[in-house]
Amino acid sequence: MRLSSLLDAESFRRHRLATACAAGIVALALVEAGNALLAPLRAPTDQDWRAAAAEVRAGFRPGDLLVAAPAWADPLLRLNLGDLIPLAVAGRLDAARFGRIWEISQRGARAPETEGVRVAQSSRHGALVLRRYERPAAGVSFDFVAEWSRAAVSRVASGGQVSGCLRLADRFECPDLPSQSVKAELLEIDTSPHLALATQPAGHTTTVIEYDHVPLGRELVVGAGLHNVWLRKAGKGTVSLRVLVQGRELGRIEAGSLTGWTLRRFDTSALTGQSQSVRFEITVDDPNSRTLGFAAEARS
Amino acid sequence: MATLGQTLRRWWGRPWIVPLALALATSGWLLAVEGRQGLARDEAQYFRAGERYWGWFEEIGAAVRAGKPGRAFSRAVVDSYWGDNHEHPPLMKTLYGLSWRLFHRCDCVGPKQGLHPIAIHGKHRTLPLFSRESTAFRFPAILLAGLGVALVYGFARRLVGPWAAAGAAVLSVAQPHYFFHAQISCFDAPIAVMALLVGWAYWKSLRSPRWGILCGVFYGLALATKHNAWLIPCFLLLHYLWMRRGDFLRLRPPRVPLAFVSMATLGPLVLFALWPWLWHAPVPRVREWMQRHAQHEHYNFEYLGRNWNLPPPPSQTGRWLLRATFPFVSTGFTVPVTTLALAAAGAVVLARRRRKDAPTDEPAGIIPELPEPGARASWLRPGADVDLAPGMFLAVQILGPIGTLALPSTPIFGGVKHFLAAMPFLAMLAGVGLGWVTRQATLLVRPSRLRHALPAALAGLLCLPAVAETQRSHPDGVGHYNLLAGGFAGGATLGMNRQFWGYSVLPLLPWMKAHRPPSNRVYWHDVLHDAVMMYVRDGRLPLGIGDTGVGESVVAQSDLGLVILEKHFAVYEYLHWEAFQTTQPAQVYAHEGVPFVVVYQRKAPPPRQEPLPP
Repeated sequence: MRLSSLLDAESFRRHRLATACAAGIVALALVEAGNALLAPLRAPTDQDWRAAAAEVRAGFRPGDLLVAAPAWADPLLRLNLGDLIPLAVAGRLDAARFGRIWEISQRGARAPETEGVRVAQSSRHGALVLRRYERPAAGVSFDFVAEWSRAAVSRVASGGQVSGCLRLADRFECPDLPSQSVKAELLEIDTSPHLALATQPAGHTTTVIEYDHVPLGRELVVGAGLHNVWLRKAGKGTVSLRVLVQGRELGRIEAGSLTGWTLRRFDTSALTGQSQSVRFEITVDDPNSRTLGFAAEARS
Repeated sequence: MATLGQTLRRWWGRPWIVPLALALATSGWLLAVEGRQGLARDEAQYFRAGERYWGWFEEIGAAVRAGKPGRAFSRAVVDSYWGDNHEHPPLMKTLYGLSWRLFHRCDCVGPKQGLHPIAIHGKHRTLPLFSRESTAFRFPAILLAGLGVALVYGFARRLVGPWAAAGAAVLSVAQPHYFFHAQISCFDAPIAVMALLVGWAYWKSLRSPRWGILCGVFYGLALATKHNAWLIPCFLLLHYLWMRRGDFLRLRPPRVPLAFVSMATLGPLVLFALWPWLWHAPVPRVREWMQRHAQHEHYNFEYLGRNWNLPPPPSQTGRWLLRATFPFVSTGFTVPVTTLALAAAGAVVLARRRRKDAPTDEPAGIIPELPEPGARASWLRPGADVDLAPGMFLAVQILGPIGTLALPSTPIFGGVKHFLAAMPFLAMLAGVGLGWVTRQATLLVRPSRLRHALPAALAGLLCLPAVAETQRSHPDGVGHYNLLAGGFAGGATLGMNRQFWGYSVLPLLPWMKAHRPPSNRVYWHDVLHDAVMMYVRDGRLPLGIGDTGVGESVVAQSDLGLVILEKHFAVYEYLHWEAFQTTQPAQVYAHEGVPFVVVYQRKAPPPRQEPLPP
């Protein structure tokens, strides 16, 4: 049968644009229907995850970092390899201290932790791609969260009166702070996990957390933000974290309900190799529903 | 004597047969799959309220039998039943309770007797259509969804041919998000159907006073369904003013039509009659109802990778604008793309429509409702002398609910459910587009047999992607995103909301049951106690299953806990990490590789934490 006996060429000429649009919609329908049927088959299977996990386990070394790309696949990564992801790694300040990073990726995604890092190994497991990245890790000369017990915590009233906080086995207890404690714990900041020093700042006073004899390197990296989605929603105040080394201010981080997790790098290269006191001063304009979490590392 | 073919053709020609078939097919589809969809948080509260409301009718029976019928109408008794969940009007909850009472399979006097929110005095005599009590509760919503599809067909049929109208009807329910809501006993799909019913009555009232009166009755039913009904007259008013814009040019403002008078008078009366909670204090309680929703708190909602729960400050213009895009972007990413393309074509067709054309001259295949010759407009027939402006009608019905959510003064809600009322009208617009595609194809094709087959073939083909996407999305329709967004995975990558209401635990219940800890301390996160109890009543969880309750403090008290993966719920996952000293879930429920729920199990002794590298 000839096409001309099926289609009216004159009508096609007169309605060329309309016919093209209508044909486009029909083609779209075919593509969309086909995609609806085929797309579920492109998802990684349990078998894919198990195979990728087995390869990771075979090459894993303590101190390696495991990440999923895209990040929403992280629960499946942890289902298969969560025993290799301790709380401290999951709640890391950032990825700089990790020299080897395993990334399990799907759909062409790339984890931000691996940006600019060299691929040392790559393999495919069904719909998953496993890559190992390697780079020189940042050396951490002092971890302020891990070394929380070496700090001295006090509270300075607006009149200048200083009252010290008591160090207990797992926290500092400050009788006049709202939560009565400064503690290293896993916090939810900007809907991500952060192992940090948590404190509820009090109004009209400064909470001071001071470390003596901190071995400094090239930089001091500080991350801070407000804990707990419900508290961020309920409160309005801005918490200020002032960072001082040997009495000199390096900078501040302002943490409000919408600021998320703020990471700042302060240059301490002039002090490399020296042991100095590092002091964090925390103030707030409205203490209602504010819990600050901050973490810091001195890095070489 | 008529042949079988003639008989079938005669039946097929009856105006109610196609809508009835569509309604039955829709309700059948929903009934066939609803059992795979878990119980939504709000739904569980409506189960409870519906059963309580039924309890009041039992109270009337008891009072009549005691010879004191007035007792059941005292304020104390009315409030004891109707005070439950009084922030929402009662129509659907009453129907849910009634349906449960009529159609559940009763094992109410056994060990499950104490799980009901009302006293159970004996085994219920019922018509046991459904094995699960939750299905009996859901049945009215499912029937109403069927009615909605029939209404779309009837309404669309006034604009386009039968196959295009049938296509519009299918497209109205074949939307993953709409389909999700159509099978549960909540109010979002029902209010969408009610808005359609009121719109239909208003449309017909433009030339028929009988429908003007019915419009008020239907509006009362809509008011008794959900507070979204408050906005319906605003959208209709916009259409009415546009339709009668000629009056303004003649400096003669249009009369207030019967439909609006009816909505203003009969609407509140019907609401009052259906809502016993209002009877003893109508004014303060209506005020309380309105204030509850006018001063609604902001929800948490993930949109484009950000958790929104606070209005952006005026200084952050970009963020303010970003928030305003939410309902439009969500529509663009959730409605099947072919449906959107058809709706776009339909919008162009209606915008270019030549109003004075006779039906046979209409180039786009639209059936015009021309003014009646010599007719004069009156408040009883306010559309008698003018074109009814179907394009503007559909525009306000679609853009009204969507645009309301974009206003900065509107609290942050999130979820397509909040503007679901736009979707049946969007499907009607797609039906117009489908009619246009059919007409273009018909113009092109020569063989008459092929020409006759085209409308049905194209309707089937152009509905196929929507049906396939809807089937693919089930039971996680609220986490589904369309071809433009890249499906479930694409939506997750874009940072679009994945779920709400804690419905998604259903696939994990067998595992939870098998791994119930000896302590029976189970944390159910966003699965409300009412939902847990209904899972028990449905036989999906064992009697006596533990529930440590809600809140952050109880996570540490549990030995088995689940977390619904919504962005703002991250804190609950980290609480499990701390309490159970592991980041490793024991189970994950995922759809197409996208996680929805994680379960954590306390192990003894807790694993030793490795130190960080130096």
